[in-house]
Amino acid sequence: MLLRLSLFVWISVAMVVALLKAPLVPVLLETTRVLYFHIPCAWIAVVALGWSMLHSILYLVKRDLRHDDHAAAAAGLGLLFCIAATVTGALWAKAMWGAYWNWDPRETSIFFVLLLYTAYLALRSSIQEEEKRARLSAVYSVIAFVAVPFLVFVVPRMYDSLHPDPIINRRGKVDMDPMIVLCFNAMLVGFTGLYFWMQSLRVRVSRLERRAHAA
Amino acid sequence: MPASGSNSAVAVWTILRKECRSEWRTRYGLNAALLFALASLTAVSFAAGRLGDRSDVLAALLWIVLLFATLSSLSHAFVREVEGRTMLLLRLVASPTEIATGKLLFNVLFLAVVEVFAVPLFLVFTGAPPVRWGPFLAVLGLGTIALAASSTLIGAVIAQTRGRGALFAGVSLPVLLPVLAAAVSGTRQMWSAHPVAPSLRLLAAYAVALLAASLLLYDHLWED
Repeated sequence: MLLRLSLFVWISVAMVVALLKAPLVPVLLETTRVLYFHIPCAWIAVVALGWSMLHSILYLVKRDLRHDDHAAAAAGLGLLFCIAATVTGALWAKAMWGAYWNWDPRETSIFFVLLLYTAYLALRSSIQEEEKRARLSAVYSVIAFVAVPFLVFVVPRMYDSLHPDPIINRRGKVDMDPMIVLCFNAMLVGFTGLYFWMQSLRVRVSRLERRAHAA
Repeated sequence: MPASGSNSAVAVWTILRKECRSEWRTRYGLNAALLFALASLTAVSFAAGRLGDRSDVLAALLWIVLLFATLSSLSHAFVREVEGRTMLLLRLVASPTEIATGKLLFNVLFLAVVEVFAVPLFLVFTGAPPVRWGPFLAVLGLGTIALAASSTLIGAVIAQTRGRGALFAGVSLPVLLPVLAAAVSGTRQMWSAHPVAPSLRLLAAYAVALLAASLLLYDHLWED
């Protein structure tokens, strides 16, 4: 309870400070503020999908269904944050580049990631037996995450993209106002907390469902 | 362990020969793929006319024809065993990795045979500009390996589900899309006299990552 409350306060304070106090970046102007949502969403999407792969491998090694709960919940949430990153990115692209969608390399690759994990959920829903579903979707999750680093980190850097370098840029530093960096890091921490809270909720729900099903 | 190494090489070779023989008996998959390639080529070149000056469109069309001509047959490697109820027998004589490697090699061979027929026809029918054979064959070869690696693994997953046919396209295409995108851009660069190396590197890296992951995963695909 205390954790949840402090998470709420943390994100609220970070959001208010980011929207009211943090200065604007010259070219981006008012749209600077999308930054505090767009990048954490993209970051959490990668974290969640990696978490899904980690638990998929653990499932394949240990054959414990609790790992499958984690993998499924993380893939669903990863997809959710991926959609959030895509939508905020599209809004930002409309303001900065003039169109919501233009098949920029980064837009293309995030679209491929969306397709991959939609397919993962489609695969899950097509298998009835619990053990088989866990095993096959774990295999698929690992294969899907083989593509993720290519799509998120390699492809957008290989082709000419309007999108600025992601979180870690080529020089390995952030050229931004310290206030912006502070707010951004606070939002990053807040979103990470939010994600792991949602993750634990979903895992608990699926455990309860299994118990109800068995009873 | 030289002895077990050569044993599994023998097992892989046996699986590959068995696949070739059972395909050759009916030639069902091969005929279907070649016929599809021919039909779609005709449709494309009839509808679009000669596209000699549009190498960007040609590159995309070539890979779309190859992908869809071979997709259903590639998934069939494992579905055939499940439908013929021979999977259990196969697993008694070889390990999952050996079976899968044999089927993977068969799929590479299958793609190569289809390409030997379909690619020259494509070049003639669409009036494609002259190709640079070195880069072109490199893109084709790496694209073939990457396509075969991903579709063999997804085929093995799909063979164990119920809605096999319908599900395969939906589940395998997202994994194949990066391959397709890199292969198309490599082919386009080959025609437009740009360096092909970046696309080749990307294709090679993705193919190696897929191969490595699938070799690790095959042992976990079936319940023990």
